[in-house]
Amino acid sequence: MSTSPLLGMLEGYLNLVGERQQLVVANMANADTPGYHTRDLNFQSAMQQVINSGGAPTMQPTALQLTDLPERPDGNNVNIDREGMLLSQMQLQYQMGVQLIKERFHELLTAIQEP
Amino acid sequence: MGSFFGMMNISASALNAERQRAEISSVNLANAETTRTADGGPYVRKEVVFSTSDPAPFGTVLDQIGAPLGNLPGSVRVAQVVDDPTPPVKRYEPGNPDADKSGYVQYPAIDPETEMVDLMNAVRSYQLNASAVSAAKQMIQESIDILRTT
Repeated sequence: MSTSPLLGMLEGYLNLVGERQQLVVANMANADTPGYHTRDLNFQSAMQQVINSGGAPTMQPTALQLTDLPERPDGNNVNIDREGMLLSQMQLQYQMGVQLIKERFHELLTAIQEP
Repeated sequence: MGSFFGMMNISASALNAERQRAEISSVNLANAETTRTADGGPYVRKEVVFSTSDPAPFGTVLDQIGAPLGNLPGSVRVAQVVDDPTPPVKRYEPGNPDADKSGYVQYPAIDPETEMVDLMNAVRSYQLNASAVSAAKQMIQESIDILRTT
């Protein structure tokens, strides 16, 4: 449904936040796995793609391995503080996206109901 | 929304792995003074080795939602339980029935401090992953709320 391009973009935004959250969770799960490298996606460029395509589900964000974080002797470079912060950040960003979508539907409903 | 259930599966695999790690630590602590085992000789300290499943191309992540636990990219599992190669500690106890000819008893090389630190680590990691599950749950709840209030 494309009542407005904004709704499609918000959908793409939520998808992106969800996928990034999955990477954060995978990093947390592997906090004790030897040789594991933190994975993340380039949120800004992925979001730019979403905006350019108007929220079309064609974009495929790629997960990158971060190598600039300090590595422990077992080859693992997961930073729990970073992941914990990102976890709450993604949660709040998701909440914001959901609120904005609700707002759009509310506007639509108002437009229908106004005499 | 599919990725949230994937998230919960990843966290669940980590909870499982950390629980096994805590279990092994408890086994080590419980057997710190065990001098007789089925294989003969003192108990040998065990350690878990974690491994991550092969990271698949990111686009295939969503296709694997129904996959059994442990096969999701990024999920963690206990790859193997290995024996600690540290030789047993010898203590001079001539009265002990397990003492050798010169009066020494072989005890497992278990250091309670190491085990406690490992146990605490496992517990903290468990808590961390449990909070990740709560985060996933809250996000699922929020996306359901889009339906409810419009």
